[in-house]
Amino acid sequence: MAASAVIDIKGLSKIYGSGGKSLVALDKLTLQVEPGEIFGYLGPNGAGKTTTIRVLLDLIRPSSGSATIFGMDARQQSVAIHQRIGFLPGELNLWQGRSGAQVIHYVASVRGGVKSIVKQAEELAARLKLDTSKKVRDLSSGNKRKLGLVIAMMHSPDLLILDEPTSGLDPLVQQTFHELMNEYRDKGKTVFLSSHVLSEVQAICDRVGILRDGDLKAVQSVDALTNVKFRWVHVQFRDDVPAEVAQGLRGLAAVSEFNADGCHARMRLQGDFDPLLRTIAAGYVEQLHVEEPTLEDIFLAYYSGGGEDA
Amino acid sequence: MSGVILGNTLRIAWKQMLYWGLGLGILGAYIIFIASNSDIVQGYADLFDSLPPALMNVLGASGSELFRTTEGWVVTILVSELALFISVYAVMAGLAISANEEQSGILDVVLSLPISRRAFLLERWLAYALLAFGIVLISALLPTLTAIGVGLDADIGIIAASIMAVYPGALVVIAATVLLSTLFRRRIAAIGAVSAFVIGSYMASILGGAASGFLPDLLEALSYFSYVGGESIVSGEYEPTGALGLLAAAGLAFVLSAHLFDRRDIGT
Repeated sequence: MAASAVIDIKGLSKIYGSGGKSLVALDKLTLQVEPGEIFGYLGPNGAGKTTTIRVLLDLIRPSSGSATIFGMDARQQSVAIHQRIGFLPGELNLWQGRSGAQVIHYVASVRGGVKSIVKQAEELAARLKLDTSKKVRDLSSGNKRKLGLVIAMMHSPDLLILDEPTSGLDPLVQQTFHELMNEYRDKGKTVFLSSHVLSEVQAICDRVGILRDGDLKAVQSVDALTNVKFRWVHVQFRDDVPAEVAQGLRGLAAVSEFNADGCHARMRLQGDFDPLLRTIAAGYVEQLHVEEPTLEDIFLAYYSGGGEDA
Repeated sequence: MSGVILGNTLRIAWKQMLYWGLGLGILGAYIIFIASNSDIVQGYADLFDSLPPALMNVLGASGSELFRTTEGWVVTILVSELALFISVYAVMAGLAISANEEQSGILDVVLSLPISRRAFLLERWLAYALLAFGIVLISALLPTLTAIGVGLDADIGIIAASIMAVYPGALVVIAATVLLSTLFRRRIAAIGAVSAFVIGSYMASILGGAASGFLPDLLEALSYFSYVGGESIVSGEYEPTGALGLLAAAGLAFVLSAHLFDRRDIGT
């Protein structure tokens, strides 16, 4: 499986500095991204997401381990790899005094095949509602992001590497972005995107890797990741939450994070419903609402160290 | 090497070259205009006759006989100033090759394109070397045309050649700036180091010329200003080995920069 992986990272470590002041940004990371999938790379700031991306792009060199893209070494064959990838950095900086069209033309020139690339860039810009005649310095952060997306995608790369792609985009453009990603997948192309927007990952990714402190905590399909054992239960009583009900719920082994506010109670249930239903039956229940855990909950569970138990 | 980076850099920075060239060229033309008044030149010669040699060196001349000819006067007044001004441009150019874009993060986008780091650096280097040549050329052209226009009684070829001889020194400063910004990575640290290099070279040239002995000779030998060549061109003692040495030093610094740039992490 790894032989056909688009991205194949083996034992990758990156340590900044040396001696007592060293910082482990990546710790023996091993990860494969398969052809035709949208892979979400999740983690908080400083987890090592951008470091991983920068190693893949040969912008920084690993302390140990290896990374290949399309079977080519990320360092030794970076030029050939870059021909087939599109990249959007997390913090996009471009030439302030140049217009979007000029930037597009320049990047297309370096890539070669200016006419076809520029034509595709114009189509993408139209879909994203981007005015390329404006100078970069006059673009809002959202429009700069759109320009970055156009630059990353305009040559139809086989692999897209996107660092926080929708940061600063308005919801409508985010929707267009999701459509573009789905079209990309339909064409059999691969996307590696880092994000902390979990709903976005949930909506478009096939698999997710969760990174914390440079350590890959889990790699799972989005479906498997959301198939966890706990639920959020909301109970609406006719009157204030009865004291004996609150006491009973607090005493249940399957219930945690119990919170009562007036006639509303919220709790985390890990296990069967029956003990909970029997306990709340002591009061007059108006409404009962069961909520599946969001990816955010799962995310937090992983960050608090209890990922596998969640 | 596709030449795209080279062409794009020239397209972006040609106006900068024009403004610098015109600014320095107008300065040169103004000095030529002053030189067309022989009384002023004679007055300078008389003044310099009364100066001690050390002070004369500080003012950019090794002997008052230089002021006996108009071209000698022009070269002495103009070339050391031009060399200093062009060094300032060369520092800016050296920073523009990679340090500015690395600091701002633009280099992340550029180096994610299908171009090697070495090719990128080489094309940028060549572009700024050409732009610096353009500045020196315009700086020589305007005074030359002015000299012809005012009918200056001087060897105009010597004046033009002396201005053009500033160019190898500019390449050394560009190369030193690129090397230092590759080493230090932080733009501000590179600016500090290269400023120390330029000012140190200038001071070494002045102090070295103001006295004789092992240390002053060593200081003078270490300064790239000592190889600019204005005076020796006027006196007919110009040896191209100094300029060739500067070109070799610039080339060596570039190769070292490319090697280091290729090996290190990008970004601060």
